[in-house]
Amino acid sequence: MTITATPPGWAEDVLRLVLRRADFDAVSGDLLEEYRDRIHPARGQTGADFWYVRQVIGFAIRSAGVWGALFGVAIVVRTALDWFAPTQDFSVRSAISTYVGIGLLLATGFWSAWRSGSMRSGPLSSMLAASIGSLISVIGATGMLVFFHDARTMNAIAGSGGLSEVFTMPLAMIVDGLVLGTIGGALGAAANAKLRLDL
Amino acid sequence: MADTLGSFEQAVLLAILRLGDNAYGRAVLNEVQARLEREVAAGAVHATLGRLERKGLIASRLGPGTPIRAGKARRFYRIRPIGLRALNEARETVETLWRGLEWPLKGHA
Repeated sequence: MTITATPPGWAEDVLRLVLRRADFDAVSGDLLEEYRDRIHPARGQTGADFWYVRQVIGFAIRSAGVWGALFGVAIVVRTALDWFAPTQDFSVRSAISTYVGIGLLLATGFWSAWRSGSMRSGPLSSMLAASIGSLISVIGATGMLVFFHDARTMNAIAGSGGLSEVFTMPLAMIVDGLVLGTIGGALGAAANAKLRLDL
Repeated sequence: MADTLGSFEQAVLLAILRLGDNAYGRAVLNEVQARLEREVAAGAVHATLGRLERKGLIASRLGPGTPIRAGKARRFYRIRPIGLRALNEARETVETLWRGLEWPLKGHA
């Protein structure tokens, strides 16, 4: 047992941002106890730090996973519509998918800051959700492309922005996640503080 | 209820049952790892504990911390009667499914 061993401080900060405020003490205490009692003596400082960071990443992905999945499904649905039900006028589709995307990333930031009580949680969770969503959209588009690459589908893809847009635009959404998550996070943290005062 | 209890949820509930008064997060994690004989992410156990508590199958209370965890509180869990009933039903379902078959199965590998 190495009772003075300490995991990376930044990882503990991230853990605080992705957990409910009420859960942080018990969860971080459990991780610290396991880290000091079992992992550090067996794996040394570097191995134990790696283990701790892996656990924190697990908590982070779980906290933003549902939002990321929703975001990814929304992009895949939009992509499938453009490929299999092509149109000449994309304005309505663009407006709907843009507002759905903005809404989801704002909601992720709001929800995350609300439960953690920290505004900084908003951008972190929204960027994570956007990253997970981007990964899902790239996997979804690749999967569709494997099964549907006939001339008609390829024409529809070219007419809706081309393959490069399908595979590069999701990356830009991570920056959107930063901006929208910051706004949602500010609102969520403010609402949390206000309600706590009222209660 | 039994049809809504996943195998990992059963593993966590049985770990709480075995640990008795010492069923806090890290102890549950280690017990589940020992029984399943594999490394399990702490996040998976905590997420399951949270879900079981929201379902009303378990209850929790905060207890004092210890020096090794820098004084941070421990959350202790206990199974509620509805949780015991769910475990009994899950076991009964599995036994019903297996009734009449000889275990281990032969000739189907």
